[in-house]
Amino acid sequence: MLSRVAESLYWMSRYIERAEDITRILTVNFHALLDARLEDSQQGWQSLVSITGDDPLYKRNFPEYSARNVSEFLLWHPSNPNAVMACLTQARENARSVREQISIEMWEHINKLYFLIKEVNRSAVLRGPHEFFSQVRDGSQAFQGVTDATLTHGEGYEFIILGKHLERAEKTVRILDVKYATVNTMVEGTPEASLQLVAMLKSCSAFEPFRREYASVLQTSRVAEYMLLSQQFPRAVLYCLLRAQRAVGVLATDTSIPMSNQAARSNRTLGRMCAELQYLDIQDVLGEKMHPLLLKQLRLMNLVGDEITRAYFNTQVILPGPKSQQQQQQQ
Amino acid sequence: MMTTEAMNRSSTQPIVNGDYDIGAFFDEMFESPGVPRPHYKILLDHLTTLNAGTFEERRRAADISFLYQGITFTVYGQQEGIERIFPFDLIPRVIPHAEWDILERGLSQRVTALNHFLHDVYHEQRIIAEKRIPARLVFGAKNFRREMIDIDVPRSVYAHITGTDLIRDEHGNYLVLEDNLRSPSGVSYMLENRQAMKRTFARLFENYGIMPIEHYPQELLSTLRSVAPHGDPDATVVLLTPGVYNSAYFEHSFLARQMGIEIVEGRDLVTHDNHIYMRTTRGLKQVDVIYRRVDDDFLDPLAYRQDSLIGVPGLINAYRAGNVTLANAIGTGVADDKAIYAYVPDMIHYYLGEEPILQNVPTFLAENDLDRSYILANLDKLVVKSVNESGGYGMLVGPHATTEECERFREKIQAYPRDFIAQPTISLSRHPTYLNGELSGCHIDLRPYVLAGETVKLVPGGLTRVALRRGSLVVNSSQGGGSKDTWVLYD
Repeated sequence: MLSRVAESLYWMSRYIERAEDITRILTVNFHALLDARLEDSQQGWQSLVSITGDDPLYKRNFPEYSARNVSEFLLWHPSNPNAVMACLTQARENARSVREQISIEMWEHINKLYFLIKEVNRSAVLRGPHEFFSQVRDGSQAFQGVTDATLTHGEGYEFIILGKHLERAEKTVRILDVKYATVNTMVEGTPEASLQLVAMLKSCSAFEPFRREYASVLQTSRVAEYMLLSQQFPRAVLYCLLRAQRAVGVLATDTSIPMSNQAARSNRTLGRMCAELQYLDIQDVLGEKMHPLLLKQLRLMNLVGDEITRAYFNTQVILPGPKSQQQQQQQ
Repeated sequence: MMTTEAMNRSSTQPIVNGDYDIGAFFDEMFESPGVPRPHYKILLDHLTTLNAGTFEERRRAADISFLYQGITFTVYGQQEGIERIFPFDLIPRVIPHAEWDILERGLSQRVTALNHFLHDVYHEQRIIAEKRIPARLVFGAKNFRREMIDIDVPRSVYAHITGTDLIRDEHGNYLVLEDNLRSPSGVSYMLENRQAMKRTFARLFENYGIMPIEHYPQELLSTLRSVAPHGDPDATVVLLTPGVYNSAYFEHSFLARQMGIEIVEGRDLVTHDNHIYMRTTRGLKQVDVIYRRVDDDFLDPLAYRQDSLIGVPGLINAYRAGNVTLANAIGTGVADDKAIYAYVPDMIHYYLGEEPILQNVPTFLAENDLDRSYILANLDKLVVKSVNESGGYGMLVGPHATTEECERFREKIQAYPRDFIAQPTISLSRHPTYLNGELSGCHIDLRPYVLAGETVKLVPGGLTRVALRRGSLVVNSSQGGGSKDTWVLYD
């Protein structure tokens, strides 16, 4: 597969996932914040922007945090490269550049989704976004469904899986980081704390799955444990990292040439991250220790991204030629 | 604005009504008012059962499916909404078998002669030495490529894919308007239009006896394979595109997908030791045949334009070394120069010893003194074309032009006679086309695609382009044209 194609598939997948994640975070909190007091609500809207990591950019464009401003910023403000509109545009451009590598169904779905947000009545969405949000979510999930059902599960598919799970893992970590900080200042068991925990779970579509797993009261430690360490829930950090590692493993072994240095590195970094989480006791990282752990995870995720880029997308050109020449170049 | 009532009334009106006017033109469907030609009878019977409402619904369904599939082209010079679908008219053009038979033989003959000509001008130059075509026309052509002299290309084929534009005059005679030997586009529309028609009018296909065209990508691939260096049957074929932002990118990606080959950009290819490789996730892989949709000038920044970012440094050396085949070859543009076009019938006589099966449109070369004075005296009656432009740009349509436009062309013709030709205004044939709730006659042309490799072949069909502005003679997609499906019937 062409390096450029692999890179486009990877980013197409990341951007679609990002659009869906941002939409979900917005939906969930839009509803939760309608119930909150004004000062809490401002803080709540700010935390949404923090989740995307684009706080400085927001401050440069908007004077204050409100439902309208934050929604606009996260959905389609031209200054925001991670807005849902920008993500879907990027996803579509990437898909377009590899039109011949993806199935017709995938292309049709991504196009539909793109035109949905491009042509939507924006002020109507800002007044009542619920239906629009479900359309974006359905569109993204339909795209992921047809990808699974219509694309050959070969090399390109693994790059898609890899991109999707790295993106998901990152978003779950960010949600956990921001929301955990808020909940941590509250008294366990109060209605406010419960409300925050529910919002945290719903931001990852984890509320009902969590309920089935832990039928007891909502406890911060259990929610954190579920979102971080579940190996069954498809948006839990550990689940995503394990799946990403499997993809890297398939990519590295499914090849006639020995695993390159860089490919081996991304495999090792992911392996270390998974091992750390697999043997983690949640009690050891509660309270103040949560934030450093999550920061470290984010840093390693960035590292993995770089290593994958170097291993597959920006490969150093080693020209076929006489043996001596190759050895020289490897030194 | 129409009232709802008026809209409802018009949507129940039949689309075939007594208002259809044949005018003074050759009408493809009607022999005389109300009397269809035999090969259109079944189609007309079917159309008669449709009202504007039903037809509009089907048209919208087809348009939406084009948009969702991303079958769009890009219009430059406009900001937002630059992606447009190529307007598609649901009334197909029908060509009886006997007519197609003549076109097929005529086009094969023409492309064979053009390939002989290209080989000749880049080798012995016999046709020039024997003064059958003026040397200054050939060597003065903007797209004559000196670096191709004495370079041998596999099977001596230069133009592997040719899109020849045909028109019909007021008597229904097919005439060749121009040959496109440099990456002709539009074939994906020919294929997609057929798909759209099958979805929309499935029942019509059952009894009509329409020859299939769906195998075009396979024929193209085998043509490309047949010209691989050293006759390698397992050659690696790729399609080279300028990139996603090219207006024809949809077509590039469509063809690559249909052929199952990689679509590459310049940055995906590297040269080493006069061989071309593509960069893959598993290292470098050698490339043997490049179906390039990039113009000569942009192919290699070392050989041509240094500012080209879409080319491959070193490609021309690898090509000259015979390690990679380019389709079409470099330098084919000399043969679709509009002044040299005038000599194609002579080429057919000279190289093949045959009579041309298809005629040219009569052409005056501003280069010749006699022709030039005729052109300048009759500017208001002629169509003047710049020899190197295509796509409907750089044209003067005399009868429709203002005095100032005519004067501007007069000055240019006098200053640069080699750059201009003129042709009489042909009243192009017209075809019933759906416009605003009913059928109207619109001018059309036809571009079949000729493949030349081990053999010369065509799939039975082509792209019928239609001028959707009432009275307009220009059918190019960049100038407000649309297209129709083209049905060639079985014997």
